[in-house]
Amino acid sequence: MKLDLVQLLRENTGVTDFRIIEKQTESYEAFFVHRSLETVRTTDTTRTNVTVYVDHGEFKGDSSFLIYASTTEEEARQKIAQAVEKAKMIENQHYTLPENETLERTIASGFSELPLSVLAARVANAAFRADCYENGSINAMEVFLYKTRTHILNSRGIDKTETKYHAMIEAIPTWNTAEESVELYEQYVFAEPDEAEITAEIDRKMKEVAYRSAAKKPEVMPSCRVVLQSEELATIAWELADQLHYGSVYAHSNAFSKGDALQKEICGDVLNITLKSEQAGCCDGAVFDGDGVTLQDTEIIRDGKAIAYYGSNRFAQYLGEPITGDLPCLALDCGSLTDEALAEQPYFLVVSMSGLQLDIYSDYIGGEVRLAYYVENGTVTPMTGISISGKLSDALSSVRLSNRATARRSYYGPALAAFDGITVV
Amino acid sequence: MAFSQFLESRRAACRALIRALDRHFAYVSILGTDVRANRIMVNKNTSSITEGGDCESGFVIKLHNGKAFLECSLDDITDDTDALVRHILSTVTVPSALAEQTISVPIPADEPLTQSFLRENDYDDYSDAQLLQFCRETKDEILARDSEHILNVVSAISTMRVNKLFLSKNRELDQSYGWANGFAVVVWRENDKMVSAREFLGYNDLKTILDEMPSKISPLIDKAHHLAYAKPITPGVYDVITDPSITGLIAHEAFGHGVEMDQFVKDRALAKQYVGQYVASPICNMHDGAAAVLSAASYFFDDDGVLAQDTQIIKDGILVNGLCDLTAAAELGATATGNGRRESYKRKAYSRMTNTFFEKGTDKLEDMIASIKHGYMLFETNNGMEDPKNWQIQCTAEHGIEIIDGKLTENYVSPVVMSGYVPDLLKSISMISDDFIVYGSGSCGKGYKEWVRVSDGGPALKVKVKLA
Repeated sequence: MKLDLVQLLRENTGVTDFRIIEKQTESYEAFFVHRSLETVRTTDTTRTNVTVYVDHGEFKGDSSFLIYASTTEEEARQKIAQAVEKAKMIENQHYTLPENETLERTIASGFSELPLSVLAARVANAAFRADCYENGSINAMEVFLYKTRTHILNSRGIDKTETKYHAMIEAIPTWNTAEESVELYEQYVFAEPDEAEITAEIDRKMKEVAYRSAAKKPEVMPSCRVVLQSEELATIAWELADQLHYGSVYAHSNAFSKGDALQKEICGDVLNITLKSEQAGCCDGAVFDGDGVTLQDTEIIRDGKAIAYYGSNRFAQYLGEPITGDLPCLALDCGSLTDEALAEQPYFLVVSMSGLQLDIYSDYIGGEVRLAYYVENGTVTPMTGISISGKLSDALSSVRLSNRATARRSYYGPALAAFDGITVV
Repeated sequence: MAFSQFLESRRAACRALIRALDRHFAYVSILGTDVRANRIMVNKNTSSITEGGDCESGFVIKLHNGKAFLECSLDDITDDTDALVRHILSTVTVPSALAEQTISVPIPADEPLTQSFLRENDYDDYSDAQLLQFCRETKDEILARDSEHILNVVSAISTMRVNKLFLSKNRELDQSYGWANGFAVVVWRENDKMVSAREFLGYNDLKTILDEMPSKISPLIDKAHHLAYAKPITPGVYDVITDPSITGLIAHEAFGHGVEMDQFVKDRALAKQYVGQYVASPICNMHDGAAAVLSAASYFFDDDGVLAQDTQIIKDGILVNGLCDLTAAAELGATATGNGRRESYKRKAYSRMTNTFFEKGTDKLEDMIASIKHGYMLFETNNGMEDPKNWQIQCTAEHGIEIIDGKLTENYVSPVVMSGYVPDLLKSISMISDDFIVYGSGSCGKGYKEWVRVSDGGPALKVKVKLA
C-alpha cells in the first residue's frame, strides 16, 4: 500500500512545512565483454526524500529522511516525529519555501517509443558498427537506458512532475599492435536514440585510440599553444560558475565575487557565461530544481567579469539575491578562433586526459595527458606520456575560443580553445 | 546492535522467491541491503542533521540462465512470490537482437554456508543533540584560534550502519557493521590568497573520533597558514617521500585498479600478463582485503556472498594475485576473493578494491628524509586516476614540502600532480618506513562511476617520480 505521506506530514502539528522529492527510475542495462553480452540488468526503484521544516523562535530548522517502498505507516509517523525533534535543534536563519506552482511535463524522446530492452539492443549495435577496424576493437561496453520521473511537492502548493529519458554508453576502444595494446575511455551521454550519431561518436574514439597506439613520448617537449577541447572547457567553465553559486558565496568559499575580473589582462577572447535551465543538445536540462523553483536563465560572467550570482531558493534569500534556482546547464559564448587561424601556428591539442586538474585557489591548471596531437603545418604527431601545467589566471587571460560550438551533457560552447601560458612537461 | 528488522522480515519471502526462480534459472541469489546513515554538519552560519546519501533499502536478484547473468533491482520483496516471478520473467529478458551475442559463462559455484556476522559499534551511545553540540564546539574552537584569517569552518560527524542479507540455494549469510567519520575544514584567507585545509578521521567507533578530533585543530590551522604561502612546484623528476596517504593513493591508483580481475576478462589490464613477474621493487609487499585491516571497507562477506579475505597482491616485488568478483571468477576459472562490490542494490557488482595498502618496511622516516639532497615530501590525497591497460597514473597531492640537504623546510608547494609509468614508479621504491597508517575516509569510482567506500595507506615510501 502506498503511503499518503502528505496526510502523515499534515497530521504532525510540529511540522511547519515540508517538501517531498520522489524519484522513480526504470532502467535497462546491458554489459558486454568484447562484443558478447555478459549481463543484462533491469531496475525499477523509487527514492523518496522528505524534508521537514520547523520554525522555532527566531530560527528555521530542517531535517531530511528517506521513505522506502517497505516503510510502514507507523514507521513513517516515527520518522516524521524524529525529524521534527532534529529540526528543532537546527538554528538556521529564516527563509520561505517556493509557493503555488504546478507542472506536469514529459520531455519528448525517441526512447519513449519502444521498450527500453529493444532500444538498448539498437544502441549497442549502433556502437558496435564502429568496431570495424582490423587492429581496433571495443574491449568492453556498458549500455544504460533510463526513464526517470521526478515529482516534487511541498506544503506551500508546489507540485511539479517531470518525466525524461537519457542513455549512457561506457565504451573502451582498444588498438592492438604486435608491440602493445592501448585503450581510451569513452563515456557518452545522450537523450535521443540517434543511431548514426552513436556510431559516429564511437568511431571518433576508435580513430583516437589508433593515434594513441602510434603516440610516443616526445624527446623534446613542444613549446607552443595548448588547445583544450569541450570536455576540459566544460570543467573550467563550471569551476568558474561554482564560485558564483549562492552556496559558495554564503559560505565565503568563493575565490572571486561579483564585479571581479576573471581575465586580468585580456589578450584573447573575453569570457561570457550564461547558466541555463535547458539548452539544445544538453541532456541535463530541466525546468525546475530540487526545491521546485522555476529556473531562470542567468548571465553570470560578461566580458571576463563576474556580474551575477545564482543558486537555490534558501541561499538566494539569505543573500538578498534573485531566486534563479540551481541551473543545470552552462553556455559559454563562442569566440573568434577559426580552424584556419588555429592552424597558422603549431599547437598541442589535448585529446584525452586522466582528468583536468584545476585549483582555483592555487591558480593551477594541469594534469596527465594520455593522448595529444602536436600539429604543425598540417602534420599531426600523436604524443603520450606527458603532462600540462600552468597558471589558470594566465590561461584565462590568453584564451582564444573557437568559433565552432558543440554540446555536451551540461555544456554548450566552443568546441575547443587555445591557451598561452600552459606548459607541456 | 541487532540485525536489520526489515531484512529479517523479508528473509522468508526471499527464500520462497529463490525456490520459485530455481525452476527457471541455473543460479539464483538475492542480496538485500538496509543501510542507514546519519550526518551532522555545522558551519559558521548554518547546521543540519540529515540521513546521508549512503542510505538505501532494497534487493537485487542475480540469475544465471545457463549462458549469461541477468539481474533485477527492486525496492522490496513481498510475500506475493508468483507476482514477483512473473515480473522478473517478463522484464529481465535478452532482446532478440542480442540473443546470438550472448556469452557463455560457467555457472558460479554455490558452496553451502550459513553464518551471521556482527561488528559492534557505539553509535547508540550518542544522541544527535550530543553530536551536534560536539560539532558546534569544534567549530567554535577553530574559529577562536584565528578570527583574522578564517572565512568559514565546517565540522561534521557521520555514521553508517550497514546490514546485508545474502541468500542463494545453498548459502544464507547476514552481516551488520558500521563506520564513522569526522572531518573539519577551514576556508582561510592570508597573503592575499584563499585556501582550504581539511582534517579527516575514520573509525569503527564514534568515541575515537570525538577523542581525536580536538588534536586535529592545531595541525589544521597550521596547514591552512602554510598553504596560503604555498607556491607552484617547478615541474620535473624528483626524489620524493610519500606520506601514508599518498602511499595509499599509489597502491590504489598505480596497481589496485590494474588487478581488479573483471578487467582481466575484458583484456583491459596489463597486469594479467605480469602475474609471477617483478612489477615493483623487491622490498615491496602490497595487500587488499575487507579482512586485511579494520577500516572503511571492512565487511564480512561481499555483495556476491563471498567471504572477505586478505589478498596479497605483490609479494617481494612480484605480482602474485588479483582481486576477483564472482562473475569474473566464473569467466576466468579463478577463485573469487571477496571483492565483488556494488555501489548500491541498484547497480551491478564489479571486482573492486577494499582496504588497499603497502606493508611497512624497516627504514626510519628521518633516515629517508635525510637521504634526499633535493626533493619533496608529499601529503594528503586529493584525487587520482587509473589507467590499468597502459599503466599511466595521475595522483594529486594536496601539498608537498621541499626537502633540501636532507631536511624538511618551510617551503610548501600546492597542488602537486604526480604522474608517470606504473612500473617505473614502483620499481623506484628504494626505502619503506617502519610505520603504518590506513586512512578510512575515501571513496572510489570505476572509470567515472560506481562509487564505493575504500581505504588505503601504508608506510612512507621513497620514490623517484615526475611532479608538476
